[in-house]
Amino acid sequence: MKKQMLQIQEACAGYEEQEVLKGVSFSVSRGEFAALIGSNGAGKSTLLRCISGLLPLKSGNIEICGKDTGKLSAKERARLVAVVPQSYEMEYAFTVEDVVSMGRYPYHSFGKRETQEDIQAVRQAMEDTNTLEFCGRLYSELSGGEKQRVILARALAQQPEIILLDEPTSALDLRHQTEVMELITRLNREQNMTVLAVLHDVNMASRYCSRMILLGEGRVAADGSPSEVVTKKNMEELYQMKVLIRENPLYGKPEITPVRVLREERTDYPIRIHVICGGDGAVKIIEELEERGYLLSAGVVNEGSDDCAICRALKIPHVEIPPFTPVTPEDQRNNLKMMEDAEVVLISDIPFGQNNLANLDGLEQIKGEIFFHKNALSNDYTGGKLVERLEELGQKKKVIYFGDHDEFLKRLSLCRTEGSKKVKEEPCG
Amino acid sequence: MKEKRKRRMLILAIPACLLLIWLCTVMGAASVSAGEVNRILLHEIFHLPVSMEGISEGSIAIIRDVRLPRVLLGFLTGAALSVCGACYQGIFKNPMADPYILGISSGAALGAAIGIVLHFSSSMAGLSGTTLLAFVGSLLTIFLVYVISRRGKRVPVSSLLLSGIAVNQSLSAFMSLMMLFNQQSMDQIMFWTMGSLNGKGWNQILSILPYILVGIVLLMTSARELDILLMGEETAVQLGVNVEAVKKKILIVSSIVTAAVVSATGIIGFVGLLVPHVVRLFTGPKHRLLMPVSLVFGGTFLILCDTFARSILTQEIPVGIITAACGGPFFLYLLWKSRKGGTV
Repeated sequence: MKKQMLQIQEACAGYEEQEVLKGVSFSVSRGEFAALIGSNGAGKSTLLRCISGLLPLKSGNIEICGKDTGKLSAKERARLVAVVPQSYEMEYAFTVEDVVSMGRYPYHSFGKRETQEDIQAVRQAMEDTNTLEFCGRLYSELSGGEKQRVILARALAQQPEIILLDEPTSALDLRHQTEVMELITRLNREQNMTVLAVLHDVNMASRYCSRMILLGEGRVAADGSPSEVVTKKNMEELYQMKVLIRENPLYGKPEITPVRVLREERTDYPIRIHVICGGDGAVKIIEELEERGYLLSAGVVNEGSDDCAICRALKIPHVEIPPFTPVTPEDQRNNLKMMEDAEVVLISDIPFGQNNLANLDGLEQIKGEIFFHKNALSNDYTGGKLVERLEELGQKKKVIYFGDHDEFLKRLSLCRTEGSKKVKEEPCG
Repeated sequence: MKEKRKRRMLILAIPACLLLIWLCTVMGAASVSAGEVNRILLHEIFHLPVSMEGISEGSIAIIRDVRLPRVLLGFLTGAALSVCGACYQGIFKNPMADPYILGISSGAALGAAIGIVLHFSSSMAGLSGTTLLAFVGSLLTIFLVYVISRRGKRVPVSSLLLSGIAVNQSLSAFMSLMMLFNQQSMDQIMFWTMGSLNGKGWNQILSILPYILVGIVLLMTSARELDILLMGEETAVQLGVNVEAVKKKILIVSSIVTAAVVSATGIIGFVGLLVPHVVRLFTGPKHRLLMPVSLVFGGTFLILCDTFARSILTQEIPVGIITAACGGPFFLYLLWKSRKGGTV
C-alpha cells in the first residue's frame, strides 16, 4: 500500500459564526496529483488554509505524513507542505533568487549561514521551473507567468513532501496556464511529488489530474478518477446549470461544456418535433428545442457524433447507427416510425452524402410538416441526388425552406402565439 | 555588476562616515584646532601618552565633556531610530511607518510634560526626573496600544496602527491641555518635544547604551524573518515563520529602544522614517544589509543635522527642526517616485 501523505478526518473549520467545512474526510497518498474542485464558497481554499496552518480546525484532524498539523511548529510544517497561491504580487525590490531562497527558511536555524545544501536546493528549484535564466532580475518586474514559476520554485526550495496549489493558473493566460500545469505534472511524474491543487477549471483538472475531489457545501461530494467525478449529475449540481459532458478526443478525459444557466421560456404548445440530423450541426437547435419543452425525437444519428452525444445526454429518443455506415432501409423504417406522430419534421443543417441520403426516403408518407435548412444544400456531397430527391418530394408534399435555426424557432413560436395549431404556411424561397 | 558597485560604495561609505563624525567634533562655536582635538581625543579617551602642552583646560573640557558626548549621543540616537524605523516599516509593510507610529513619542512627551509642570527635580543615576517620566510614559503608551489591539493570541497589524493613531491623538490632546493650563512651562515643553542633543552628556549615553546595544543585536537576529514578513503574513506562516512571535519580539524590543532614546533626547522626528527609505534605495529590501547600513547612515545623518543645528545660527536650533525640514521635501520625493511607478 502506498504511503499516506495527507489524511483529513472529519475536518470542521470556518470563520466567526460561519461554518465552512462541515466534516471533510479524504486522504492523499504519495505521488498522487489530486484536484480539489467545487463551487465558490464550497470550502476549497479554506481547506488549504487549514492544511497549511493558517486556520485552526474546530474539530477533526489533519495529518501530514502521519503528524498532526495542529501540533507541528511553523518550521516543521513548512518542511512538509509548501503552498503556491493564486497569484502573488509584491512591490519590494527582491530578486528572483532572493524570493526562491526564502523557501529555505524552514531549514535555517539561529545564527547559521547558508549551507551548500541550501544553495544547491535553490539552484535545483530554479532549474526545475526554468527560472534560473532570470534569477538576477527583480521579481516585481516579471510577467505573470514568470512570477508564478518563481513562486513554484520557492515552494520546491522548501523540499516539501506535498505541494498545495490554490488556483495556480487563474490569473494567467492560456499559454502560461498550460505551462504551469505542465511543470506541475512533470514534477509529479519525475519526482513523485504529491500535489493537491484547488482548480477552478474542471476541464483542466480532468486533463491533468489522476484524481478529483469534489467539495460541496463543506463536504466531499464525490471523489475518484475524472470519469467518476465529472458526470452530468455531479456537474449540474456543482454549477446549478445545464452542462454537457463528453470525452475530449485528444486526451480521452471527460470534458464539460457549459450549456445554459438562464432558462428559456417554455412553450405553451409542446408539439412533437422530429429532427433529422446525424453530424455535428444540430446540437444547438436540439438543446434549445428541448429547453423550450418541445417533445423531440431524432434520427438517424451516427454514434460518436455531437448530435448523438446530445441526444444521449438529454435522453431524446433517437435512431442510432455505427459511425461511417450507410443508413439501411431498416434504419430508415425505424426513423419513419419515430416521425409518425411528429407534427413537424426538421431537416437540420447536415452534410448529405451517399450514406445518409436515405434519411429522406419515405417522407412523402408522413403527416407532419417538413422544414428544410437551406444550408444543407451547400454541403451537398451527393452529386446532385439531394436536389433531385427534394424536387421529387416537393411534388408530393410541401417542404418549407428556412435560412437558419433562429428563423425556424421564431416561426415556430410565432405560429403558436397566433393560436394556430398548424405552422403558418408561408412561401419560402 | 550593478550589485558589486553598490557594495563597493557601501564599504567606502563607512570610513567616510567616521571622517564626518570627526569633522563634526572639530567644528563648533568655540574654536579648538583640529590638531588639538586629535590630541585631546587620543589622550582623554584612548589614554595614550600624548603631550597636552599648550591646550587649555577649557578646550579639554569642551571636547571631552560637551562635544564628544554630544556627537556620540547623536550617533546612538540616529542609529537606534533608523534601525527601529527599518524594523517597523518591515512588520507594518507601510512606507509611512516610523518608530513613533504607535504613539511612543506622545507618551514620552506627556511624561516629560508632567515632569516639567510638576518641577519634578529629583534625579536618579544622573538622569533628570523628566527623562525618567518620559521613559515611563512611553512604555505605558506602548503597553496600552498593545493591549487594545490584541485579538486573542494575535496582534493584527491593522488594529495596531489604528489604536496607535488613536492613542497618539488622545495623548497629544492631553499634553496640549496641560500646556494651556501651565503657560509658564509652555516654552520648555515645546522645546522638549522638538528634540535636542543640547546639554546632554555621558550620563545619558551610559543610560541608553545598554538598551540600544542589546536591542539592536536582538533586532538584527530577526533580519531573515523581517525579509519574509515583507511577503505578507500568510505567506510568511506558510514559509515557516512564527509570525506572531516575531512581530511581538520586534514590537517590544524596538519600542523599548525607541522609548529609551526618546526619553533622553526628546522627539527627534523623521530620522527613523527617512533613513531606512534612503538606505533601501541603495541596499535593496534585504534586512541583513538594510539594518547595519541604516545604523551607520542614521547615526551619521543625525550628527550632521545636529552640527548644522548648532552652527548655522548663534542661537541653537532643536535638531528635530532640522530633521523635519529634511523630511518634508523627502516625502514629496517619495510621492513623486511612487507616481512614476517606482517602488519604495
